[in-house]
Amino acid sequence: MDVATILHTLRDPAGIPTHPLVFQVLMVLTWAVHIFFVNLTLGTATVAGWGFFRGGEDHRRLSRGMTNVAKIALSLAIVTGVAPLLFTQVIYDPQWYTANVLSASWVMGFIFLLIVGYLLLYAFYFKNREGARPGVVHYLWSALVLLLVCGFVMHGLSYQQLLPEQWMDWYAPGGVVDPDGNTIHAFDLPRYVFFIGLSGIVAGIYMAAYARFFADREDIPARYLDWVGRLGVRIALYAAAFELLAGVVFVAEQPARTGFGAHPLVWLTGVFLLSLIAMLFAARERAAERAYLLLGWYAAFIALVAAAREALRMAYMAPFDYSVMDYAVNVDWPSTFLFFATLVGVGGPVAGFFIAVAFNVGKHADVYQAGPAMQRLGNLALASLLAWIGVFFALGAWVWLGNL
Amino acid sequence: MDILGLYPTWYVPGIGSAWVVGIVATIHVLASHTSIGASWFFAYLETKAYREDRPELLDYIRRYGMFLLVFSYIIGSITGPGIWFSTTVASPRGISGLIHNFVWVWAAEWVYFTIEVIGVYALVYTIGRVDRKTHLKLTWAFALASWATMMIIVGILSFMMWPGNEDWYANGSSLDAFYNLNFFAQLFMRTSLMLATGAILGSIVAARMEDSAVKRTIMRTLAVGGVLGIALGALFFQWYLATLPDNAHTVLEHRLPDYFGPAIVGILAASVAYLVFIFARPHRLRAGFAAVMAVIVLVAGLWPEERARESIRKPYVAGQYIYSNQLIARDVPGKGIHGELAAVDAEGILALHPFVPDELRTVTEANKVRAGRMVGLVMCSNCHSFEEGGLRPLPELLHHSDEPEMIQAFVEGALATGSVDYMPRIPGIDAEREALGTYLATLSGYRPDPGETLAHNARNAQVSE
Repeated sequence: MDVATILHTLRDPAGIPTHPLVFQVLMVLTWAVHIFFVNLTLGTATVAGWGFFRGGEDHRRLSRGMTNVAKIALSLAIVTGVAPLLFTQVIYDPQWYTANVLSASWVMGFIFLLIVGYLLLYAFYFKNREGARPGVVHYLWSALVLLLVCGFVMHGLSYQQLLPEQWMDWYAPGGVVDPDGNTIHAFDLPRYVFFIGLSGIVAGIYMAAYARFFADREDIPARYLDWVGRLGVRIALYAAAFELLAGVVFVAEQPARTGFGAHPLVWLTGVFLLSLIAMLFAARERAAERAYLLLGWYAAFIALVAAAREALRMAYMAPFDYSVMDYAVNVDWPSTFLFFATLVGVGGPVAGFFIAVAFNVGKHADVYQAGPAMQRLGNLALASLLAWIGVFFALGAWVWLGNL
Repeated sequence: MDILGLYPTWYVPGIGSAWVVGIVATIHVLASHTSIGASWFFAYLETKAYREDRPELLDYIRRYGMFLLVFSYIIGSITGPGIWFSTTVASPRGISGLIHNFVWVWAAEWVYFTIEVIGVYALVYTIGRVDRKTHLKLTWAFALASWATMMIIVGILSFMMWPGNEDWYANGSSLDAFYNLNFFAQLFMRTSLMLATGAILGSIVAARMEDSAVKRTIMRTLAVGGVLGIALGALFFQWYLATLPDNAHTVLEHRLPDYFGPAIVGILAASVAYLVFIFARPHRLRAGFAAVMAVIVLVAGLWPEERARESIRKPYVAGQYIYSNQLIARDVPGKGIHGELAAVDAEGILALHPFVPDELRTVTEANKVRAGRMVGLVMCSNCHSFEEGGLRPLPELLHHSDEPEMIQAFVEGALATGSVDYMPRIPGIDAEREALGTYLATLSGYRPDPGETLAHNARNAQVSE
């Protein structure tokens, strides 16, 4: 059977509730946020392990700080992974579901390994105290290995999606159907290395931002923060240089028919990476001062990486006439309104309140006394939640009773 | 001839892909309901602490919050998407149907998940580091946002049962799908029972509190909240039963393991007894015993409950329009969806399924057993194992029949006609039913005509192991 026909037939018959471009843009942006936290987790966990192993007061202190960051970052990586997964399943459902079923045992193994990896990271967090035994670091390295395996599974699924012409051979080698899902059928090592290697850049820039954020705290020595910031910039600089090389290799080994090497997004991403390298070089002695600028530039860079990744997928799908733009639309205004109203009307005030409280607490060594503006933000957060719940029940009662 | 949008099959020997979903889902139910229930205990206790000037109560919130960071926000946060992962590989069209009907609803749910994750860290780590009024607002916002995650997901879960009326099929509106007949009953039932799980898991943490007065206050609060939750949950369960479709009642009455009902009643009674105990003797509880109670709730309560909930949906997996075997059972004009059974009756499944090897698309004497295996994988394996002692094992359900004609007659007489209301109507052509009957007979020892090659027999033996 023709692969293009199969791909189009596998699309969900229910269609999608809004124009596909909306989903594609959201998918790319939310994936960028997700990979940011994935890389932050891997990078800070690695720094935490290195700092613990290196020993000494400053390195151990850095280790404890970065362990705390890693454990929170992993939580955020998991929750921010939900959104791109959702949107992928909306517009690239044929590719995603097939790739997953064909490696199903690894898909479920991912869940188990991620749980164990996270628990090991938490074990290291609890044991990483002053005077901890050297052997404690094995928890961290074990966690890191499992997280890298999880990343490899996700990489395999992402790559397998791009090769629909091989699916039948994977499912029925030699014409005999093999439904056990025990194999990862394809992977692209340069691609995996490139995406994982970003961890060094983001961890280093985060360390600089860490130095900047805590600069007002009198209970944290300025000497220590200066050291963390400068070390972070050096780590980020070396990682960025490596990523330039890794990126060239990744782009160069893509099939010629994709035209990936000539794509404008790839070149723009390269320009941003080169300028990031220049900025990091210039910031070697001014880490804290340049930290937030570096963070902003990195955010823009990672958004471009995400966009280029999607452009590559579109290029792989082009020979099969698969474009998300012709996905059937069954417009559903109620649910569309629900999401955007929730995101802006509730997500904004409530997440804003939580983050603002945490941010201000972090800036104070003593108890933070919220001022009038913060009090009003808290009231707004509660009011938005109560309003949402009220409308939810009122609307629900009206629909439910009307259908009785 | 149009092909059907069917995916490859993942076959798990023994427990089946369905139990993989069930195991992940059961763990997630405990973690998620505990977290939401706990959030409401947090809000109550912190309000009490604020009004009665008892800041020491916040120490419990901090400890229980730390417990949740590991239990609910590692295990719960991972098993949540884990359900998505497991349904993706076990029932791709089922989860695809739900996602395409509810994508923005799920996206709104994600907003609340993100708020929850940020909120739990903010709540736990700012205790004692921000003024008490601001922290109280933070805790209440967390409780409300947590409950909202339940509100949203229950709309989708209850639609998995059925819309409850014909409106959704006609107009395709997400409102009619979401606010279905079963929705409010299931929401109030889960809201009630979350207090019970929040109380039982919370007692593990409370058992380790050193301050006697604090421990008494906490234990009694958990006990009252938990018993109230169980009482209301039992009440709302009656409403829940009244909103189920006929096929669900058939399964409830005739197709569930005998121990399910007594196990669930028993665990509820044991939970009430446990909560009464911690109310009356708040200082006698040991953390280890409380942990054992939590495990008992998981294994003896939630597992049968999740298995039952999965079973009573049969033969459908979503909205009473997608069968468990992934075929679309009826038209949904409001969404432009067309039923597929007639097409399979006309052409057979092997001709229409995209992921069938070419040499199996037409049944022949030479490939009959392998073709029958393919039909079985597609039509039956989502709910049935091919081994002895597995999930709803076909050899046992077919009374170990090694007679292909008898099995074929059953398929034609009972299943192809849709006579069994908890089974899908199994469409197909005569040749495929014959092949299916032949393959299923081999599971109980039947050996086909020597015309099949030895190599083919060897492969089948491998599959049947």
